Amino acid sequence: MQKVTSASHELVELFPRGRSDNFLARSGWRRLGEYRFLIRQLVRINFNTEFKRSFIGLSWLLILPLLSVAIWILLNGAGIVDPGATAVPYPAYVLLSTSIWGFFADIYKNSSNLVTNYGRMLIMTPFPYGVLLAEQVVVHLIRFSIPFGLNLIVLLFFGVEFTWWALLFPLSLIPLLLLGLAIGLIVALLRIVAVDLSKLADEGIRLLMFLTPIVYTPKIELGWLSELVKINPLTYLVSFSRDLLTEGTFYAPVTYLAVSGFSLVFFALAVRIYAKSQPRILERLIAA
Amino acid sequence: MEKTPLISVRGLSKKFSRDIKYNMYYGLLDVVSGRKAANSSPERPALRKHEFWALDNIDLDLYSGEILSVVGANGSGKTTLMRLLSNVYPRDHGTIMGREGLRITAVFALNAGMQSLYTGRENIYIKGAMYGMNKEEIDRQLEFIDDFSELGKRLDTPFGNYSSGMKARLSYAIALATEPDVFIIDEALAVGDSAFKAKCFDNLREFVTHPAKGVIFVSNHINKVMKIATRTLVMREGQLIYNSTDIKEALEFYLNNSSDLLGSQKQQRKLKKIRDYEF
Repeated sequence: MQKVTSASHELVELFPRGRSDNFLARSGWRRLGEYRFLIRQLVRINFNTEFKRSFIGLSWLLILPLLSVAIWILLNGAGIVDPGATAVPYPAYVLLSTSIWGFFADIYKNSSNLVTNYGRMLIMTPFPYGVLLAEQVVVHLIRFSIPFGLNLIVLLFFGVEFTWWALLFPLSLIPLLLLGLAIGLIVALLRIVAVDLSKLADEGIRLLMFLTPIVYTPKIELGWLSELVKINPLTYLVSFSRDLLTEGTFYAPVTYLAVSGFSLVFFALAVRIYAKSQPRILERLIAA
Repeated sequence: MEKTPLISVRGLSKKFSRDIKYNMYYGLLDVVSGRKAANSSPERPALRKHEFWALDNIDLDLYSGEILSVVGANGSGKTTLMRLLSNVYPRDHGTIMGREGLRITAVFALNAGMQSLYTGRENIYIKGAMYGMNKEEIDRQLEFIDDFSELGKRLDTPFGNYSSGMKARLSYAIALATEPDVFIIDEALAVGDSAFKAKCFDNLREFVTHPAKGVIFVSNHINKVMKIATRTLVMREGQLIYNSTDIKEALEFYLNNSSDLLGSQKQQRKLKKIRDYEF
């Protein structure tokens, strides 16, 4: 570190290179602890701002997934979609699959809007980006667990019998969370400097849902579409978690582990790229 | 005896792009190439197409006990300089040195981060946390904030219902409660009633009497600068063009050198304000 002595006091470089860059890598988690209080405040704001002026408030967290399930049941009843053979009743299958998909898609959506939503606040009152990342994950987990509790009841109602393996279900979702965060963090940067690419990414994620066995099963025969479903990594992340919960079986465990490993590496890389680029992106935000 | 600077800035430079598309393109290049936050090479980087120096080789020292005012026409680089001093923007070249552990609190917009659906008291905890304080620290400062903001019972009503003056009082008090060594105020005292402004000025004057404390005050309001500054810097097009402890002289220099940017009528009106000002 460069030092200059002036009179009796020693001056040091105030913002040395790399200190803010590697927030998570270096002093990271300890500093995150210092900001625990801010994370709690931001989580509270996140929930309250959305529901404070709504009469039915948090009930929305239960109503929205039920509505989407109802639509799929109607489509199924009308014979528009032929899902292929499912081990559990179709509505239960869709309910669970859409909520697992939502677990991925929502964290993508939230983290990909990190700079757009919080950038101006960070320019006015700078705090470490890790705080926002932690807040997003906490909010996401709460938002997922509430309707998911309801889902479990519906699954029981449809006659799904859980095994002890079902207890591992939450852990099996971690790779999905990491992958969603990783793609989201990269797209968060692109939203400021490459708007077209970020729009493509949004559409890509939407398209991916149809290439993932959510409303149909992995066994479905759809010609070339089946090939795309097979090479889609999300097929394995979603199907593994779903089968673990409903049947207590492992869907393509080796591929699942490989995709999980990839997600972890991609996440570490994305955090690094994000950390390095955030200051450069924030200055573009105000100038744009 | 020579005084010791709290902050010492040398050769500080920052470039921006005038063109939105190029701005995005360079941003993308930075992400892809992984350009570091500060340029480590001894040479200043070259300007690319459509770029300009928003800060051009700035040398600046802030000493203990000073209320340093920075004036300059819009777009002269005042806020950019403050953003670099508070580590919001990475620098392109130069050094920012300071005493070890120096705590800098910068206020760019008083209401930034404040939540209108929450009460004033809840906002103290929210904004305090954003400044990096934990609950215990905020608890300790609560009485001071309550006292300084003079909100009384209204502290427990929604922030969104406050008048702009009340908002300013609360936000300013929270920033002050972070107990900074260097307090940067960027146009943030443009709002609020005159009694509150006078209180803030008294407070700032008292603040710098403590050892190792300094204030940087960005404002183009002639009266405010005359009232409070102990030294004035004049900026123009990214450069520091004047530095004087004679505030009147510095402000006159600023106005005489900004007629093309201010318009001559405004310039004359402001010059008259300086001449008529009584300390």
